[in-house]
Amino acid sequence: MTRKQRRLTIIGGALFVLAVAAGLVLNALRDSIVFFSTPTMVAEKHIGPGKRFRLGGLVQPGSLKRGDDLAVTFEVADGGAKLPVAYKGILPDLFREGQGVVAEGALDAAGVFKADTVLAKHDETYMPKEVADTLKKQGHWKDDYGKPQAAKPGPVSMREGEKTAAGATQ
Amino acid sequence: MIAESGHYALVLALALALIQSTVPMLGAHQRDVALMNVGRSAALAQLVFAGLSFIALITLHVTSDFSVANVFENSHSMKPLLYKITGVWGNHEGSMLLWVSILALFGAMVALFGNNLPLSLRARVLAVQAWVAAAFYLFILMTSNPFARLATPPIEGRDLNPVLQDIGLAVHPPMLYLGYVGFSISFSFAIAALIEGRIDAAWARWVRPWTLMAWIFLTLGIAMGSYWAYYELGWGGWWFWDPVENASLMPWLAGTALLHSALVMEKRNALKVWTILLSILTFSLSLLGTFLVRSGVITSVHAFASDPTRGVFILGILVLFIGGSLTLFAGRATALKQGGLFAPISREGALVLNNLLLTVSCATVLFGTLYPVIMEALDFKLSVGAPFYNLTFGPLFALLLLIVPFGPMLAWKRGDLVAAAQRLLAAGVASLVAIAIAWAWARGGSALAPLGIGLGIFVITGAIVDLVERSGVARVPFRTALHRTRGLPRSVWGTAFAHAGLGIALLGIVCETTWNSELISTLRPGDVRNLAGYEIKFDGMTQRQGPNFTEVVSTFIISEDGRQLSVMTPSKRSFATRGMSTTEAALMTRGVSQLYVSLGDTTADGGLAVRIYHKPLVLLIWFGPVLMAFGGLLSLSDRRLRVGAPRPARAARALQPAE
Amino acid sequence: MTLWFVFAVMTAAAIFAVLLPLGLGARAASDGREVAVYKDQLAEIERDVETGLIGKVEAEAARVEIGRRLLAAAEQEGEAPVQTSLGLRRLAAVLALIGLPIVALAVYLPLGSPQLPDFPLTARATPADGSQPLENLVSQVEQHLQKNPTDGRGWTVLAPVLARLGRTEDAIRAYRNMITYAGDGASKRADLGEMIAAAAGGVVTAEAKAEFERGHALDADEPKSNYYLGVAAEQDGRKDDAAAIWRKMLSKGPADAPWRPLVSAALARVGGGEAPALPNEAMAAAKGMSDNDRETMIRGMVDRLAARLQQNGDDVEGWLRLVRAYVVMGDLDKARSALSDARQAVKDTERLRQLNEGVKTFGLDG
Repeated sequence: MTRKQRRLTIIGGALFVLAVAAGLVLNALRDSIVFFSTPTMVAEKHIGPGKRFRLGGLVQPGSLKRGDDLAVTFEVADGGAKLPVAYKGILPDLFREGQGVVAEGALDAAGVFKADTVLAKHDETYMPKEVADTLKKQGHWKDDYGKPQAAKPGPVSMREGEKTAAGATQ
Repeated sequence: MIAESGHYALVLALALALIQSTVPMLGAHQRDVALMNVGRSAALAQLVFAGLSFIALITLHVTSDFSVANVFENSHSMKPLLYKITGVWGNHEGSMLLWVSILALFGAMVALFGNNLPLSLRARVLAVQAWVAAAFYLFILMTSNPFARLATPPIEGRDLNPVLQDIGLAVHPPMLYLGYVGFSISFSFAIAALIEGRIDAAWARWVRPWTLMAWIFLTLGIAMGSYWAYYELGWGGWWFWDPVENASLMPWLAGTALLHSALVMEKRNALKVWTILLSILTFSLSLLGTFLVRSGVITSVHAFASDPTRGVFILGILVLFIGGSLTLFAGRATALKQGGLFAPISREGALVLNNLLLTVSCATVLFGTLYPVIMEALDFKLSVGAPFYNLTFGPLFALLLLIVPFGPMLAWKRGDLVAAAQRLLAAGVASLVAIAIAWAWARGGSALAPLGIGLGIFVITGAIVDLVERSGVARVPFRTALHRTRGLPRSVWGTAFAHAGLGIALLGIVCETTWNSELISTLRPGDVRNLAGYEIKFDGMTQRQGPNFTEVVSTFIISEDGRQLSVMTPSKRSFATRGMSTTEAALMTRGVSQLYVSLGDTTADGGLAVRIYHKPLVLLIWFGPVLMAFGGLLSLSDRRLRVGAPRPARAARALQPAE
Repeated sequence: MTLWFVFAVMTAAAIFAVLLPLGLGARAASDGREVAVYKDQLAEIERDVETGLIGKVEAEAARVEIGRRLLAAAEQEGEAPVQTSLGLRRLAAVLALIGLPIVALAVYLPLGSPQLPDFPLTARATPADGSQPLENLVSQVEQHLQKNPTDGRGWTVLAPVLARLGRTEDAIRAYRNMITYAGDGASKRADLGEMIAAAAGGVVTAEAKAEFERGHALDADEPKSNYYLGVAAEQDGRKDDAAAIWRKMLSKGPADAPWRPLVSAALARVGGGEAPALPNEAMAAAKGMSDNDRETMIRGMVDRLAARLQQNGDDVEGWLRLVRAYVVMGDLDKARSALSDARQAVKDTERLRQLNEGVKTFGLDG
């Protein structure tokens, strides 16, 4: 092979690999990208049943209901609208009523969001970032969300306080 | 006094960096030895002051001096000592200080151990290193000062985030930083070479040990981070394709490519321009990784807006270094003397393909990481998750693994693909057998899984075949073979280990993702469940008092065929101060597989939600990288990378045999 | 002063680091050369040939190639001889001597706070003066106890403070721990019982009663236990028993006991004992009450408390007890309305704050 041919082979190979990669990326973009929505956006955009998306918002206080065998339902609200969510499995440690949450799944025919994942990211703050952004935009942001929580017992931490109490008495 | 001394030490480090960034550069230009030597002593002094400053911050955290804002915001007098120390780099300011301290450490190492470098090259490398350092000292002092004080010290610190109180989290950021920052050396070498306007095969040999060192740390850092996520986050996932992880993976991919292209450059004086470019790109990706993630830009453009000074400063640094170095590269690269060309089928050709695949797969990761940010700027919110990477990164990397065993089999300059394939016949047969067995044995799971296993086995046996071929165990008399085995350069062993490590990690990944079984259930004391042949009995719960938490420990008795194997005790810890709780998963290791028990909430009727996973061969996922790092270490200890060091008479070898 | 001395030493060290190589002059440091690399590569080829790792032909080709690089490198090195530029060296020395301290101070002075001393935890532990908010002190003690839960003395200090802050549940836990770790005692049992009763809105529950009985067993003259046993009897409708207990207290106790007026008032409430018990039907019937009836009775008491508070709205403790009683009875709506009544009734801001603090522990409005 001449010098020129060698060079061409290498350049051709490089272009081929790049083309393959570009093809893969485009293909993946079509199928595997998940959009993020809030309940308000869901209501506005009329997302059809079966289309996967990420739902973010605050867990509506008082809406969490536990059913049989780890089934849970709760509502996600963003100040404008509410959307019922059904999930089966263990909720993350940081899941709390009134706190931000991101769930991934799709709507069913009845308009209930069937989540297969409920996220609490291993972040240093409680708030999943999409939720924080949306809330900030909507003016619901309280600046102390991201800050360390002082020990002001709400309903949940009261329960934990009892655990601590039991622990200390033994 | 400690606080202010630490602060002043940091300022002095900046002043020294400013001198180090100019005087040696001038000296190298004027060829004045004394001026060039200023680089050395300044780099050492810089390490002393940056180190002092870092030690001061640690001391402040340990003594809970809440008059320092950083300590107040990120520490708490009740934290156990270990976490007071590790908390130093668990926050932005402290981690930046660790970052520059490591940068100073690497600078000092070049100053101390760079005796084999020409004086002018070393002076320039140190000067470039000091540019980077000065920029970050300024960044820290102006926007993220860890020594900012509070006039009226609060009585108690704010942060006691229990999730971050973990030994895995304590070790892995410094490891990652050693990796990220280690690539600054190859960056400095590249810029120095561009300024010098001359680059040769020797340059590659000088830069390779530094790159290798950074690569080893980064490999271990990534593996550790992944294992931390696996056992601490409580749901058994070990890789999330989260921007933070991608940020560490991208420099790793580029760095791996750099290691291989530097090899070509050293042996064949080819790919010079490309290697320089890779050095620049690798460090740029490291910068992108540390800073964009730290500043929050990569997770959200809005986070950037919330702290404009910091964000603008970071952006400025990135533009300055990435843009500046690429401009310099564009200006000088054409003037560099081109190296030799080679046949496509050759060791060089294989390494070029390796580089192509690595950089392209790195580009897909970069795309996946930045795409949501770009779209967010256009007001589309979306997330790019595992499916995207499985469809893009996956196939590219699979292709790369397929060619891995061929590389070492091909000769430099002109290789013989058929001969290489013949020698890899054994590996091919082994992998086909593995595919057949996996196919027959597997129940359920993806049809791709057996192929993945076959690929893993192919890579592993390929590495073994390489060793066998080189030692000639199969061909020459045993005595000669033994002699030759002993004579094999350590770098050959290193290559084999590193490549085998890849295959081993792949085996773990394929098995874990395909055949992991999972059971989520509500249990009451006395309940028994079966999973993957194990019988799991929930024995009950007890309370326990930890140093700064109380925990509810659940006991599970694991037995197999009626024989008790182990008792697992996952727990839920509540940290009253923060009103937070964490889940501590319990792991039972058998061979390289693990049983994983993690707890959910207790239900109203007294049941306990439990998640149990059986993860077959999961440990291989981390054993692979450890083996790779070990291979890197072997290579690093090869004396070929230590030219200039005293030469023991009977030390190891040699040029890769050009068979 | 020491600080500035330390700064001066550090600055001097930094300047010295720059000046040292300048002063040493052109003593050529060990200087690596490209040639060394290529020579080394050649040597490696020799070794490889010896061990038979590569063939003769390949070795020869490689030698030629490396030899070419070796020549090129040797040529390059000859080009640039080492020079000495004294002017630049002096400039560098001046830069170090003057520029470095100026830069350091120019950066440090606007950022640093040299006037602030260190303030580590150990130095801070002593001045626990009255200037700190009570919550801070309490949380400090609580944290200390979380680490050392067996410190009985700590619990002894903490428990009454918690009780005063209205953190009843925590106070109960603290009292229990105090008994466990600081030893049992009549007055301790009485305090615990009182707290349990307070948590139940002033009702001496069976649990509270058990504590008073234990206290009574430890010291038959302990006034608090005796008083509350009387209250228990009264609430059970056993007015005679209550009167007997209180009368005994008054006769046995010292004349100047601080609890005298309270007990006398109580005694008068149940009719003094001498006078026949008032025909309070509900009370009379209480002895054989079913759970339902008992609840009705408790409700009655709560309603009376509510009625009293309608008249005297400034009683924060009373309001808290009322709200708590509703919470305990599971009547959250009433608890909320009582709370809003309380907020209207309590005029004084300081008391309002007390109320709000107390209410926080109920978890009513998050």
